[in-house]
Parts: sequence; structure tokens; C-alpha cells
Amino acid sequence: MAKLTLMFEEKTVKEVPVGARPVGIGRSPDNDLPVDNLAVSNYHARVYVEGGRLVVEDLDSLNGTFVNDLRVERATLHDGDSIHIGKHHIKVDATGDAPVPYDAGRKASAPRINETMVLDTKVRREMLQQAAAMGERTQFASGRLKVPTLVVLGGRTDRKEYPLNSKLTVIGKSNLATVQLRGWFKPKMAAQINQRDDGFYVGAGSKVPTVNGTPVTGQVQLKDGDVVAVCGVRLNFIFRD
Amino acid sequence: MRIASGGRSDVGQQRGNNEDSFRIVEALDLFAISDGMGGEAHGEIASAMAVETVVKTCMGEESAPQAGSPESQAGWSENTKTLYNAVHFANKKIFDSAETHIEQQGMGATLTAAWINDQKLSVVHVGDSRLYLLRSGALQQLTSDHSLVAEQVRRGILTAAEAEHSEMQSVLLRALGTQPEVDVDADEHILFPRDLLLLCSDGLTRMVTDPEIAGTLQAEPDPARAADRLVALANENGGADNVTVIVIRMEAEDKGWFSWLRRGAQKNAGGGNGSAGGL
Repeated sequence: MAKLTLMFEEKTVKEVPVGARPVGIGRSPDNDLPVDNLAVSNYHARVYVEGGRLVVEDLDSLNGTFVNDLRVERATLHDGDSIHIGKHHIKVDATGDAPVPYDAGRKASAPRINETMVLDTKVRREMLQQAAAMGERTQFASGRLKVPTLVVLGGRTDRKEYPLNSKLTVIGKSNLATVQLRGWFKPKMAAQINQRDDGFYVGAGSKVPTVNGTPVTGQVQLKDGDVVAVCGVRLNFIFRD
Repeated sequence: MRIASGGRSDVGQQRGNNEDSFRIVEALDLFAISDGMGGEAHGEIASAMAVETVVKTCMGEESAPQAGSPESQAGWSENTKTLYNAVHFANKKIFDSAETHIEQQGMGATLTAAWINDQKLSVVHVGDSRLYLLRSGALQQLTSDHSLVAEQVRRGILTAAEAEHSEMQSVLLRALGTQPEVDVDADEHILFPRDLLLLCSDGLTRMVTDPEIAGTLQAEPDPARAADRLVALANENGGADNVTVIVIRMEAEDKGWFSWLRRGAQKNAGGGNGSAGGL
């Protein structure tokens, strides 16, 4: 089981395990890890296990939560990470969650490797977790309801702003296009944006769009603030509150 | 748009039975492909159930329960919703069947289905069977494989070249029928005249390279013959697994002012007997 250690100037203040219940961190004494400092909000942050991974979530605190000096709203934690809250820091010890060996959890008859097989959820999770630990650090958007929107920065279109509420958003002259391009010689479909479970992806139509000036190869996931340009139209991808 | 299509499935050179299934429903412009797994004949059962359930649900002969919340499907076309629910339904059927028949334990199947409504393409996908789009000479893979090596490539642990030689190519992260619930990829695209779609099982993509696939599709305009040639190519290259291929070609309708003029010219040439020809 993962463990959190609250430290103040290299001294251990308190140690708690992260179990089924989230660990609350804040100035209020009813937190699992109370931090007595005015820079800390009453209910500042919490740490919990989600999908086999340890996650820290900032609870809209005034001064923010930092993981390894990076301000986060929500982030996956790894063994050895350090969470900074006010002048305190919390050491993350995830060594208790020993990675599960690859063949664990599989039924007795080991499948031949050239035969298609499916990893069961537990093994899959562990393998992905290991893969994730090899460099990925996810930052999620906060829980507030935000509408992904394309704001027109330049070029001729039928509107100034497009909320992205369809699975498929087409930019072009086609009557199926959401972002209708105006003017001569514009293609039916200049580019497309696909909504998937994990976000929005822009891909080429008959033109190759750029994202922040870089031409798109294949499909590129859009991040808050990205600028998509195609056929003389510039679109800012943002999350509107 | 007019749509021409052709499909072909073959056992390959090294396997004793064909566990792939596919269906083309021309009346609906619906295309589904599934690659089964599990010992004895159970892979066939799983893949047939997967394809059958999707086809019957889309034809309205079976009704699949709503999968997930309606809000999570806001902004999806009706076809995409139906397909998505159908795949969840197929997962449940295969899983239940494997639970009740002890000898079927461990069976599962991939599923990739494409449904075309005028210009709009709905795609659902679980596993490592693929959908490709060939447009203006460029072959794009519209689905992403739910396999361990593909995931490792996405995470930058393996390069694409290393993945091709990995021994773990057969390890899937998702398949129908192995868990009570499954994550289903759903996507929509716009199609244009002269676009070509290719649905195929991994028996094709492990034996034939993307440039070979693109070349074959461009060289053979007839979809059924193109499917035959792709299967033959996989077998020439070793045919290690069952090979299943569906080729779909979009063709322009005869309309618009240019073809209207042409039809008018034909009409005049034909002595004005009132038949417009064309179409």
C-alpha cells in the first residue's frame, strides 16, 4: 500500500497509508494530514487511488498544489515524488505497490505466444501502470464544467466561435462542415476534429492543418490554447468555463 | 454517393480453421469484420456472434440496450449510437455464452465495423482488426490497435519498427467477450467520392506492408478483385494467420451541373425521347 509522509524542513510530521478512502490534506484538523500553516487552505488537496494509480487532486486551493515543483490540478503520482503544499512537503512512497510480474493472473494453461490472447484487466492495468511510470505524467483538466470551443482568430468563416459538441467537426465548404469556410477555392473538407474518450484530435482533410505552426502528421491531440491554422483560417482551441 | 464493395476471407497457409467472420450488408452500407480467438472451434463462435449481433442490431432485428449514459453520446449520429450499443451488446452475449458453456471459456473476438450514411462514416472498433482510408493516394489507419505493442508505441517505449518484430504482437488489451464490460472506440468521418475503405484482420497487416496494400488498392479498381488480390498477397508472403479483407469504394453520383449538361447532350443526341440515361 502506498504511503504519504508529511515533512517540514526535513523532519517527519506524520505518516499515513493511502487506502480505499482518499487522504485529505489541509489546514482544518479533520484532515488525514493536517498542515498547520496559513498558506494552506482548509481543504487543500486529496490523494487517492484510481485505476491502480495514485492521484493527487488540488481542491481549488488558494496557493496551489505542486508536484516536483510543477503546479497541478490533478496529477498521477509516482514513487519518490514530492508534493509541496505551503512550506510543507509530502513524500510519496509507492514501493509497497510492487509491480505484478507479467505472467501473473493468467489462467493455468499458458497460451502460446503467437496465439492471440487478451490480458485480463488486472494484468493490463499493472502493465500500463509500469508503462506509465516510464515517463508519462498526466495532467487532467479540473472537474469544473468546461466547454471545448474553437474561437476564430482570423480568416473568413460563418461564425466567430464554435462550441465543439459533435463527435466529428469538419472545417471546410461542405454542407456537413461545422466551421464553414467562406471564399473561393476553399476545399469541401480542409481538416477535421474528432472527439474521442480522451480528448479532441485534429487531422488533415484535403489540406494539412498546422497546430501552433507545426504541420499535423496523422492525428494530433489538441491542448487548451492550441492554435489550429488551415486554409487561411486560424482557430484557437480553448476550454470555456 | 454510390458504394461498391467486396470481401474475402481465407484460412491462410498455416492454420487449420478460419476463425474470422465478416459481413457486408449492401442495403444498409454496413460492413463488419471480426477475428475470433480461443481453442477448438470457439474463436469462430465468438467472431460469428460479434458480427451477427452488430448486423442484426443495425438492421433493427435485435435491440441492444443503451450502453453508457445518453449524455456521453451527445453529438453522436444515430448510426454511431446504434453501432456503439451493438458492440457492447455483442460483448455481453459472447461473455455470457463463455460463462455458461465451460468449454467456451477464454473465447473472444475483435470487432471493427463501418456504417456509411450518405457522406458520413460511423466506425466502432475493439481489438486489432483495422480500418484504413485510402484518399488521394495516401493510406491512413483510422483505428488504433488495442494491442500491447501498439500501446507501447503510443507511449514511446517501442518504435514502430521494433513493434513489427515484437513477439508480443498477439497480446490484445481489449477484445469482445473476455470481460463483462468493454471499452469501445467510436468515431465519425466524412467520406468523399473516390475514397477507398479497407477493413482487415491482422492476418493481412502482418503479412503485407502498407505500401503494398496501397499499391494493390490503387491498381485494382474492382473492390471484390482487390480483396482477392490482397488475400493472395498475404498467402504468398506466408499466410501465417486467417486473412479477411473488405474493400469499399465510394463513387460519385451523376449529379451537379456538369453531368446535367452531359445528360442533356446525351438526351439531345438520342433524339429527345425523354430518357435521361446516366444513373
